[in-house]
Amino acid sequence: MRSAGDRLPIWITGLVTGLVFILLYLPVFISLLFSIVEIRQGKILWETLSFKHYVTLWSNPSVMGALSNTAIVALISVVVATVLALVLALYTEWEGAIGRRMLELVIYLPFLLPPIVTGLALLVASAELGLNRGLATIVLGHAVFVLAVAYRLVLTRLQALPHSLIEASFDLGAGRFQTLRYVLLPHLASAVMTGAVLALTLSFDETLISTFVAGDQMTLPLRLWAMMRVGFSPEINALVTLVLLVSIILAIIVAWRMKPRGQVEEG
Amino acid sequence: MTEMRRRWLIFLGVAFVPALLIVAPIASFLLLSLFRAEKNVIIREITFGNYTGFFGNWTYFGTFLGTVLLCLEVMGVAVLIGYPVAWFIWQQKGSHRYLLLLLAVMPLFMSYIVKLYTLRSMLGLNGLVNQALLGLGILERPSQAFLFNQRAVLITMVVIYLPFVILPIFLALERIPRSLLQASLDLGAGSWDTFRRIVLPLSLPGTIAGALFAFVLALGDFVTPQMVGGTTGFTIGRVIYSQFGLAYNWPFGAAMATILFVTALIGILLAGYSISRQRV
Repeated sequence: MRSAGDRLPIWITGLVTGLVFILLYLPVFISLLFSIVEIRQGKILWETLSFKHYVTLWSNPSVMGALSNTAIVALISVVVATVLALVLALYTEWEGAIGRRMLELVIYLPFLLPPIVTGLALLVASAELGLNRGLATIVLGHAVFVLAVAYRLVLTRLQALPHSLIEASFDLGAGRFQTLRYVLLPHLASAVMTGAVLALTLSFDETLISTFVAGDQMTLPLRLWAMMRVGFSPEINALVTLVLLVSIILAIIVAWRMKPRGQVEEG
Repeated sequence: MTEMRRRWLIFLGVAFVPALLIVAPIASFLLLSLFRAEKNVIIREITFGNYTGFFGNWTYFGTFLGTVLLCLEVMGVAVLIGYPVAWFIWQQKGSHRYLLLLLAVMPLFMSYIVKLYTLRSMLGLNGLVNQALLGLGILERPSQAFLFNQRAVLITMVVIYLPFVILPIFLALERIPRSLLQASLDLGAGSWDTFRRIVLPLSLPGTIAGALFAFVLALGDFVTPQMVGGTTGFTIGRVIYSQFGLAYNWPFGAAMATILFVTALIGILLAGYSISRQRV
């Protein structure tokens, strides 16, 4: 149907897209490669292929400590943020919040602002309050950071629910709590879960806010950053590959859950 | 209890947590910026000395303006590359389109520090960029030109913030009803006219919003300049960071962070305004 002239934009933008994807994904493959083989003078020495650097990581106490910190921080902050997001979304949508736009701007701010601002704000506040910096302050930092995405996902689902559902529930004699428990929450569950996984992904990688509030604690990205300052090594590449792998898996889970079913084929 | 009082009580109960965790910390560093530090001790007297010191000293104010300029460049380049990518993905059909979108967005979830590390190793003296240019015969010797300077900061920031631009542009394009495009083609407009008169204007608000998000994020970035910027790639984020570390002047750092905060907030509000102007 289309003439050759019409195809030209597709080819050009396709070429740009291809180059961009190479640029975005090449690093992943390079670190994977560097982590399993030695490369000298631009040549890959396949005979050196081994996974020993991954094994070394396993017995590196500072890396494992950082890993467990990251897991603790991610789990607690995601639970805190998710509960908060649920309450806030229910409030703004069903109660018709006072100053809703203002409230939403505040919720979105830590996600939209440069992380240095959010990090500094929490650093100064915890110093003023005399709080010791450590895991607790990292948890708070991550919770406010991921709150925005959890809130947004729950709110979108909430807005899509028909009001008649709630009215029917009230008409049938259910109270507020029962309506929440038996009508709203089941409908919101999958959005809440998606939001939680997305929040987990963000928390897992969060570096810039953490560096201000971590004190002497290390999360995995902070440990990685510290290792990188020292230089390049196959061990770093192994860790980098693992971190990327976890992020990619989490991102695919989110994408799969958010996939717009049934409307993909339109057009 | 009146209805109004009940509503206010609920509001206070719910808004209390974000106020405590988000508004109060920001307020506390705004306040700190009005104090001054003497020999590592913070003196709690209200003064605008940090601000006059900032605007009066070209080392700081110039760095700030330089950073704004750099981030505008990052934004411009990211849009010039990101728009064609978003448009191409939008032109695809079915699950193919969704897969490409996923690939474009996934780097958002990849560790920032990891991307920095890999980009730094690519731009370095023995890095892939140099190897490729040597292989193609464009360079005779490996060049230092790609690392530890302002250009390296620009390249790295564009790569890191590109997905933040692609996603909003794609979402804006996707909102354009097919019927509008069909109508335009039916009325005899060519594909270029349809793009220029329909697609571009309708996707402009989303594009501006995406560009502004990239600008705001790049503005505060202090690790990229530190990792790939060397001694010439100084940005305001790096200066602020040093005030909380080695230089140890928290009030002055807070004042510069306040200026950054205000600039970022203007960017965010403009982005929000731009999105609200979307007509489809």
